[in-house]
Amino acid sequence: MFKNIFLFELKYRKARAANYIYFAIMFLFCLLAVTTDVVRIGGAVGQVKENAPIVIGQMIVIMGFFMTLISSAIMGVAVLRDFEHNTEAILFSTPIKKFHYLMGRYWGSLVILLLVAASLPIGFMIGDLWPTREADRLLPFNLLTYWQPFCIFVVPNMFFTGAIFFASGALSRKSIVIYTQGIMLLVLYIGTSSLLRDIEQKEIAAMLDPFGVRAFNFYTQYWTPGERNTLQIPFEGYILYNRLLWVGVGILILVINHFAFSFNVVRNSIFKIKAVKDELIKIKPEETRIPLAQQYTSFTTHISQLVKLTVFYFKMVFKEIPFLAIVIAGILLLLVNAINLNELFGTKSYPTTYTILGLLSGFNLFFLIISVLYTGELVWKERSVNLNLIIDAMPMPDFISLISKFFGLLLVYIVLIAGLILTGMVIQMSYGYYKFELSIYVGTLYTETVAFLVLYSLLSMFIHVMVNNKFLGFAVAVAFFILVSFFSQMGLEHPLFQFGSGSLGTYSDMNVYGHFVTPFSWFQVYWMAFVVFLFAIAVVFSSRGSEDVIAMRWKAGKLRLSRSLITLIVCTTVIFVSSGFYIFYNTNIVNEYSNKDQREKLQIDYEKTLKKFEFTPQPRITDVNLKVDIYPSKRDFTAEGHYILKNKTDKPISDLHIQENVGSELKTDYLKFDRKYGVKEKFDEFDYTIYKLEEPIQPGDSIRMDFKVSFVTNGFVEGGRSNTSVIFNGTFFNNQYFPSLGYFSGGEMSDDNDRKEKGLPKKERMMERNDPRGLQQSLFGDDADHVNFEMVMSTDKGQTAIAPGYLQKQWVENNREYFHYKMDAPMCNFYSMISARYEVKREKWNDINLEVYFHKGHNYNVDKMMLGMKDALTYYSKNFSPYQYRQLRIMEFPRYANFAQSFANTIPFSEGIGFIAKINDPDKDIDYVYYVTAHEVAHQWWGHQVMEAGVKGNAMLSESMSQYSALMVLKHKFTPEIIERYLKYELDRYLLGRASERKKEQPLELVEGQGYIHYQKASLIFYALQDYLGEDSVNAAFRRFNNTWRFKDAPYPTSADLLKEIRKVTPDSLNYLIKDMFETITLFENKTDSAFYREKGKNEFEVKLYATAEKLRADSIGIETPISINDWIDIGVYGKDKAGKDSLIYLKKHKIAKKENAFTITVKSKPRKAGIDPLHKLIDRHSNDNSKGLLKRDL
Amino acid sequence: MQLVIQNLNKTYSNGVQALKDVTLTINQGMFGLLGPNGAGKSSLMRTIATLQEADSGSIQLGDINVLTQKEEVRKILGYLPQEFGVYPKIDAITLLDHLAVLKGISNKAERKGLVEALLQKTNLWQARNKNLGGYSGGMKQRFGIAQALIANPKLIIVDEPTAGLDPAERNRFLNLLSEIGENTIVILSTHIVEDVKELCTDMAIINKGQVLYKGSPLDAIAAVEGKVWTKTITKPELENYRNSFSIISERLIGGRPVISVLSDQQPDGGFDRVPADLEDVYFTHIFGSTKTEVAA
Repeated sequence: MFKNIFLFELKYRKARAANYIYFAIMFLFCLLAVTTDVVRIGGAVGQVKENAPIVIGQMIVIMGFFMTLISSAIMGVAVLRDFEHNTEAILFSTPIKKFHYLMGRYWGSLVILLLVAASLPIGFMIGDLWPTREADRLLPFNLLTYWQPFCIFVVPNMFFTGAIFFASGALSRKSIVIYTQGIMLLVLYIGTSSLLRDIEQKEIAAMLDPFGVRAFNFYTQYWTPGERNTLQIPFEGYILYNRLLWVGVGILILVINHFAFSFNVVRNSIFKIKAVKDELIKIKPEETRIPLAQQYTSFTTHISQLVKLTVFYFKMVFKEIPFLAIVIAGILLLLVNAINLNELFGTKSYPTTYTILGLLSGFNLFFLIISVLYTGELVWKERSVNLNLIIDAMPMPDFISLISKFFGLLLVYIVLIAGLILTGMVIQMSYGYYKFELSIYVGTLYTETVAFLVLYSLLSMFIHVMVNNKFLGFAVAVAFFILVSFFSQMGLEHPLFQFGSGSLGTYSDMNVYGHFVTPFSWFQVYWMAFVVFLFAIAVVFSSRGSEDVIAMRWKAGKLRLSRSLITLIVCTTVIFVSSGFYIFYNTNIVNEYSNKDQREKLQIDYEKTLKKFEFTPQPRITDVNLKVDIYPSKRDFTAEGHYILKNKTDKPISDLHIQENVGSELKTDYLKFDRKYGVKEKFDEFDYTIYKLEEPIQPGDSIRMDFKVSFVTNGFVEGGRSNTSVIFNGTFFNNQYFPSLGYFSGGEMSDDNDRKEKGLPKKERMMERNDPRGLQQSLFGDDADHVNFEMVMSTDKGQTAIAPGYLQKQWVENNREYFHYKMDAPMCNFYSMISARYEVKREKWNDINLEVYFHKGHNYNVDKMMLGMKDALTYYSKNFSPYQYRQLRIMEFPRYANFAQSFANTIPFSEGIGFIAKINDPDKDIDYVYYVTAHEVAHQWWGHQVMEAGVKGNAMLSESMSQYSALMVLKHKFTPEIIERYLKYELDRYLLGRASERKKEQPLELVEGQGYIHYQKASLIFYALQDYLGEDSVNAAFRRFNNTWRFKDAPYPTSADLLKEIRKVTPDSLNYLIKDMFETITLFENKTDSAFYREKGKNEFEVKLYATAEKLRADSIGIETPISINDWIDIGVYGKDKAGKDSLIYLKKHKIAKKENAFTITVKSKPRKAGIDPLHKLIDRHSNDNSKGLLKRDL
Repeated sequence: MQLVIQNLNKTYSNGVQALKDVTLTINQGMFGLLGPNGAGKSSLMRTIATLQEADSGSIQLGDINVLTQKEEVRKILGYLPQEFGVYPKIDAITLLDHLAVLKGISNKAERKGLVEALLQKTNLWQARNKNLGGYSGGMKQRFGIAQALIANPKLIIVDEPTAGLDPAERNRFLNLLSEIGENTIVILSTHIVEDVKELCTDMAIINKGQVLYKGSPLDAIAAVEGKVWTKTITKPELENYRNSFSIISERLIGGRPVISVLSDQQPDGGFDRVPADLEDVYFTHIFGSTKTEVAA
């Protein structure tokens, strides 16, 4: 019997066109993804080959995710179709066994589903064999690459999701429940993504994700590019556990389904049917007279009908179980995400309203699902229950039906948003935060979110009306939204083509909605006109009565073209076109617009034309004297003044190469020299001019260059492309807006694959460490060494303008605030200009003025910053050298960017990273406010006191030394557990960083601007270094390095100079450390295999530890080779302290010279666990297996 | 007021011609539209009810052009489609009230009175608070009737209204219709000849989109009066009779075939003359039209 049903299922499905269409769509998607740029799913970056197993695996996993949709379509109807086609009564009365019926249907459908799913590997396989593929970006063809991930991920996923959809279809007998199931799976998936962000919960996420994507990512997260090109996807570890778990769940579901499924056609309701109260009064129908009721058909009647219908549809949606399920699922997801609110290093931030709004935006996906699903449901409501003929014959104007459905949905959104606001406030309250800013909630959700919903709902309604087939309508709507997201890849990059473009931007407490409001409003007008136009068309074509054919609907629709409807169509067309023109005028005429191809072409042309001037000798700036007038309310500024340029070469210079800023808002009003000159050559498209001096600048001689530049904001551009540096409140920009000298190599295209495609030669990221040209320029470029700095700033009344230097004078003139700053010693040629309305906190540390400028209300962490500055100044001036300035200032800038940056005596600090951080428990949470402050203060030494050469390894001097310095400040302030936790994050980020390296991983001493090396790896390396050598020794090396290079002009030091000092403090026995840490990429695989203890006597315990230690050396793509080990490594034993927490009772470095090791250690209190390198000082890809709990055993 | 249908044609996109040159004049009172399944009754009624477009022809209701002035027609229309559903999670009183709003009964008190009266009239009063999803076929049908009577319509179109009603309900409904039909145009489609005979002053028989007969049921009966002959035969004989006579109906009585034949004289000795019935008229026309078609 099973066989018959199974074969019948196959036969039945074979005849369904849909299955072939599914196959074709998935196949095409996969094929296009690997052969063209039109479709992008995952894909290879940098040195990873395009058909590397992990790349194909990832793509198959992603596409497998989409297969869930098909799974719901195929598996959901396997039993359901008997109910939908009303064949169940016939079928269930035949002598089929339930088990055979269910299993036959399930396995038959599953086989079909898997055949459809085979389109994924087949598509990728054919795509990879496609003749247009570049051979040097491919690995040799390997069948396993395609079919292994298919078997590991797709097959179990189809089994599991198939079981869910099969069972929900069979048990609920309703198709909508199947879709709801799909949404639930999605929630589970997204929910795990927020877990995954926290490194301490990655394992849980890897287990919980039903699709195995997280497990896959977790297992392969640290794979280096080399490993990515060679390793096949393994079926072990968390991937195996995850698969077993979810296949198990699938089996469980099938079992439950078997017992819960009933062959009865009519089922007993779960709920008791309410007894209907019998009316005692007997009514005689014959005697009833139908009273006369006045019928109205006036305009006001129609309005009241509209209102009634709106409320009616609103209630209808709210009664839908799937709707409630979606809403509840969405809110649950928000609450889960609220647990890890805005975390950085595991530390939360205050639940400010904009933070909560960011959280609530997670609901947008659910809004989108609701809008697509319920526009369809409502458009089809009457027809799906077969009430349409009655309703359609009612004396209502044609637009009322559609518009009331729209309004009903709008009302749903409005109520849901109110619910979201409430949820947001509850979350705020649960964090003990009571500063409710209803205006921001309303201002964002009832504008941006509602606009987005209106646009998508009306568009989706239009699609449903025009397509006039419910399921095809859903498909077209979804396909349209997907298509739109590919528009920019098809060359339609302009926001006028991006449906729903024009966001309200990032909200900042400092700048509120800022300049985003204008473009947002115009784009909304434009899109609203568009969708209302579509809506009017939909009214014309909407089916009323029994006509479905488009020609007949047009025949009926023509009659609906009343004057008001025509007026609406004309008006919306006019508004759409004219607002489109107005936007175009603003974005493309008033402002410059360029698409990706144009920008790339400019980059290429720039390099091809001007690269030859890269090392043309130029004078250097020695003095900067500027007057900068900022007009925040207009978003303009002007800068006028002069540079003194000095010829520091030994040859006369007569050609001056001036690079102006290429931004379209920026104009050079004049630029002149104090001696006779002419223009030798001008490259307008690059804003690059070569001036010829009649009389060259002699070596040692100087000239003065006067200039004025104006930054003028005209009209608007789309929010995302707008300038967020010069703004209403919180302007922050640096000297990159001002003219500079010579060719700017930073403007070149950097990715080697892109360069090859465009016919450019391969490019080194930085100059070699011993390149003499590199040694002559500092990390801030070759425009200057040290400069004398003076600046007069002015800004609008009420704002404070800040630049490096000391305030000489402050006055008010013409209702503007003026500030005169001057630095009393030469500083580096890198300065910030800031203007905002500030509160100030001032304190003093040893005659040094400390100031924090912050936005009103953001005083949560100001004291921490003060403390951070003080502690850092104390430590650095004691251990390295005195602080060179008499003042140190931190100033807040809006959260359009999240960083802090160190300028001379000036540290701009983003609103988004420190000012709203919330450190709950200083013994548990990493206080990153304090840490970042210490890091930026350290830059006053490393970067400002000592400028390094702009060559390979440079960031090891400024960034890595600052990391170390800050870490030492942290170490003296907080518990070892905090430091350990911090380093764990750093290790994770280093390993992740090297996994996505695009070019080559460098050893620390030759780092090429790779953040994961000069920040994260450096933290680990320097922390271990001071552990091996002693903090004082490392500090001594730093101090000597500082002494040698402090305030020096070119030539500048390199990492070799620091290593020279470090070598001096390193004993010979530890010399290997320098090679391991700085000169090579060295990793360890340390693992405790087993550990036991026995009680030897009173307060005497013997611990026996069996551990393996391996030392590996990696090349630049991360291929590891084991090398012999002869290292000192920590062995530690933990006991419990009085508070019951783990504490080290033994920690000592042991010399380890072989892989397998056994240690016997005697301790004085009861040991709990033990391990090798328990504090994770060495870089180890599996740091979780270093320690193990101890078993009691008599040895 | 008079409903005048002239030369109405309609062909569906699948090629089926639903209405062929239909011309009818319908006066106030009950008008019966008789025809087998698929004859085009519903198509014609939907077209009159503004729910379907015609390819050509015209429909005029008093001063109103039904095909273009749909809004005007809908104001005075009460329509019960052949098949319809309801929102399952809503009770009868709520939905009827909802429909009354759509009909333009804006006054709340009036609407309440009307809705309650209609529910009583259709004997749904006891079940008024029950969700419509739980209604039986007959109850649902009565609900459909109730909604068609909202706002005192001048044109009532009821498509197979008695389908699914038990005999008592059917009687009650027919009485109700005849009560209303006095100064209203009521178009009633059915394939149950009895309905027409009992109620209608005027009728039309249509089949395959064509009007085969129009006139009063009494005239129709009179036209065949005395020409209907029946005979009780045995089953093996049936084929013979079929070949030699124009049989208008065959039925079984007590398990034996009884055939009716339309003939001016007694066809043969075994036939008895019977009083003509509307059913005979119906079968005559349906049968005749098939015959014509076959001949053509």
